[in-house]
Amino acid sequence: MKTDLITRADWLVIAAAIALLPWLYSAFWSDNRGVGDEVHIVVDGKELPAISLQQDQTLTIQGSIGPSVVKIADGRVRFLSSPCRGQQCVHSGWHQHNGEFAACLPNRIAMLITGSAARFDTFSY
Amino acid sequence: MNTLATTAEDHRIALLAALAITIHIAESALPSPLPGIKPGLANIVTIATLCIYGLRTAAWVVMLRVVVGSLLLGTFLSPTFALSFTGALASLIMLGAARLIPGQRLGPVGYSLLAAMAHMAGQFIAAYWLFIPHPALLHLFPILMTAAVLFGLVSGIIVAAMLKHIQ
Repeated sequence: MKTDLITRADWLVIAAAIALLPWLYSAFWSDNRGVGDEVHIVVDGKELPAISLQQDQTLTIQGSIGPSVVKIADGRVRFLSSPCRGQQCVHSGWHQHNGEFAACLPNRIAMLITGSAARFDTFSY
Repeated sequence: MNTLATTAEDHRIALLAALAITIHIAESALPSPLPGIKPGLANIVTIATLCIYGLRTAAWVVMLRVVVGSLLLGTFLSPTFALSFTGALASLIMLGAARLIPGQRLGPVGYSLLAAMAHMAGQFIAAYWLFIPHPALLHLFPILMTAAVLFGLVSGIIVAAMLKHIQ
């Protein structure tokens, strides 16, 4: 009895499987965290009242080593400038997703974005 | 005659299951780059059994491998066993469904690929629901499925080459 090593139906299954993979990557690796509503800023361990992301404004916050400028616009928030040396907080750019977190450690300023839906991350799980 | 035939099948199942268990245990000694990823070479025995003797025999071989393999490795009724069992069940259901589809007949490569993917998906769903219901786990799913497709293809090709040799 002679049979093909790989039948036509096999090729179909192989093609379907290979087509499924990119879809899986796009479906499971896309950003579906949801938009945040407010930003909570913590300065030197003390939390400021939550600030809505809907109201565009620029805040100057006095940290441990100097003033940090935080800008809120279009439902997003970012560090605009910071007195620190590394500037990682500024380079981290805009933040808008529920659960996103940014901090300037030298200046002891941190901000956490929260949304209406409670969300767990690796820190709070 | 009927009882004789049954006995022959029993012997066959025992022999094939022993082969699958041996591969299963040898493989458990291999280091894994990521939890959940392993070649699943025992799948070769399952698919070859399916192609030669049919689904019934293959189901016996798979379930005996999972139970006896876990007894020998000391993981019986542990989380590892739960995952292994769900994966095996999912792949058997998938193979059964694939056999029901009329028309074009699948060969070992198709069966192997379907079984590997169903095994991984079933195992992943079990891991997510039972042990780690954390959204971050979902990011692993595409990687695990990629591994399943690769290993499913490889073992399917091995089975195809093996069957060609036997026939």
